[in-house]
Amino acid sequence: MRKVAVIGIGHGKFGVRSDASLRELAFEAVKACLDDAGISLKEVDSMVTGIAGDEFSIALQPSAQVHDYIGFHPKPNFRVEGACATGSMALRTGWMNIASGLADLVLVVGVEKMTEVPTSMATDIMGRGGDATWEYPFGTTFPGYYAMIANAHMAEFGTTEEQLARVAVKNHYYGSLNPYAHMQKPITLDKALTSFTVAHPLKLFDCSLITDGAAALLLASEEKAKAVSKKPVWIAGLGLATDTMRIGNRKSLTSILSAREAAKAAYKMAGVGPSDIDVATVHDCFTIAEIVAYEDLGFCEEGEGGKLIQAKETYVGGRIPVNVDGGLKSKGHPLGATGVSMAVEITKQLRGEAGERQVKNAEIGLSHNVGGTGQVVAVHILRRE
Amino acid sequence: MDFKNFSLAISQTKVGRFAEDLAAGKIMSTICKKCRKPYYPPQADCPECMSSDMEWRALKGEGSLITFTKIHVPPEHFAVRQPLMPFSSIQFEPCPIGLLEVEDGLRIMGWIPKVDLKKVKVGMKMKASPQTLPDGKLTIILEPI
Repeated sequence: MRKVAVIGIGHGKFGVRSDASLRELAFEAVKACLDDAGISLKEVDSMVTGIAGDEFSIALQPSAQVHDYIGFHPKPNFRVEGACATGSMALRTGWMNIASGLADLVLVVGVEKMTEVPTSMATDIMGRGGDATWEYPFGTTFPGYYAMIANAHMAEFGTTEEQLARVAVKNHYYGSLNPYAHMQKPITLDKALTSFTVAHPLKLFDCSLITDGAAALLLASEEKAKAVSKKPVWIAGLGLATDTMRIGNRKSLTSILSAREAAKAAYKMAGVGPSDIDVATVHDCFTIAEIVAYEDLGFCEEGEGGKLIQAKETYVGGRIPVNVDGGLKSKGHPLGATGVSMAVEITKQLRGEAGERQVKNAEIGLSHNVGGTGQVVAVHILRRE
Repeated sequence: MDFKNFSLAISQTKVGRFAEDLAAGKIMSTICKKCRKPYYPPQADCPECMSSDMEWRALKGEGSLITFTKIHVPPEHFAVRQPLMPFSSIQFEPCPIGLLEVEDGLRIMGWIPKVDLKKVKVGMKMKASPQTLPDGKLTIILEPI
C-alpha cells in the first residue's frame, strides 16, 4: 500500500447560502483547495464527490453537476454516500485510489445544499435516515434518536443536561473564532439551558444546524507529495465500521459500537493510541454525541464524558482539545461536506495554521464522523511527519 | 390489510402479514426454524444461518423501558400531511415514544400515550399493545403494568 498525503485544503463559507447552488458551493471549495496546493485541475487524475442526499439536491446524480461545473470531464468521478459520514467516506475512497496505485493526485469534494427544501422537509428526510420502515412510523427524527441515546446515557451514568449544554457553549465559542462557521456567536450556559425543547432532553442549542456548504481536499501519493508540497500531512490511519439500521437492535444505547470499532482500526493502523492524539474533530451532531464520542474514542472512561467537558479538558490547553473549529454544532453540518471539513481542520491544525484556535505544536490529529445514528462510522488519523 | 397502514411508506414486503396481525390485536415476531434466532421487527430471512425458513410467533410484549423521548419538532409527514402526531392534543402536546425490551431481548418501539413525561423512567415495566387509530392506521402503544 502506498502512503497518501493531504497536500491541499479548501473550505467554503458554511451557512444558509441562499446565494449559491450545490455546484457553485462546490466550486468555491475546489478553487480554494487547488490554490492552497498550487496545483491546477489539469494535473489531477480523478475525483471523489461526497453528497449525502439526492432528496436535498433534488437530482438523481448530483455529483455529475459538480464534476461538470468545475470542468473535470472526461476524467473519473466517484460519488460516495454514507449519510452524515459521507465526507469521510469520500476521503477514504480518495485514499484507496492512491494507495492502490490507480492515481497519484485525487480531488475529494464534500458538498451539501440543504436549505433549498423547507426545514420541516429536511427534518423529514433526515428522520428517514433511521429505519424508514420500522421506526419512522413513530414520528422519529434525528434529534429524537439522539435524545433516546441521551436519556439512556443519563439513566446509566448520571450525565446531566448542564453537561450537554457545556458542549454547546464550548463549540459556539470556537465557532465564533472560525470565519467559515455558520454561527459565529458565543452563547451562555443559561441561554443553552433555557432554549426550547426539540426532543426531550435535547434543546435547540443541543442540536447542530441545517447548513449549506462545501469543503475539498487534494490527496497525493508519497512521491508526488514530496515533489510538489512543502507541507504534506499524512493519512496515517483509517477505520470504517457499521452497526444495525434500527436503533432498537443495538447492543448498546449509551455508546456507538461502530465508532469504537472504527477507532480501534484507525489507532492500530496508525500505531498510536488515544493519549497520542493532540487535537480531534468529532461528530457533535448533538451535544450528547460529542460526550459519547469522548468515550468511544478512549479520551476518557465509559460514562465519564460529561465530567470531561465539565472540567473543560476538551478546550485548547486542556487534555484533548475537541472541535475547536466549532464542530457541527456551530460550524454547521452540511452532510456531505462535514467529514471533508473535519479533515481540512485537522490538516490546518497540524500545519500550525489555525490562528487563535491553534493547538500548540499539534502533531497527530483525529477525525470521527458518524453516519446516521452509527449505521456507518469513519475515524481517520492524520500526522505531520 | 395494506402494510402501508403501519409503515406509512412501503406496501411491498415478505412480512406484510405483520399489519394484518396488528389489526387482529397481535404483535408478531419471526423465528428462524433452523437456528432458532428470533427477530423483531420480523424478518423473512435469517442472516445468522442464511435460511429463509421462518415461523411466526406472537410476542407477549411485556418488559422494561430501555429509553424514551418526546419529540416536539415533528417530521413533515406528522406536522403537515397529518396535522397531529397520533395521541397528541389539539394544542400540540406531542406524545412520548419509547423502546421496550421484551422476551428474548427483542425491542419494540411504541408511543407512550397515557403517562406524563415526568413519570416516564428508564427501567419502568410496560406492555406493548397494537392500536388502531381513528383514521384506520395501525400502530403500537406502550403502557405501564
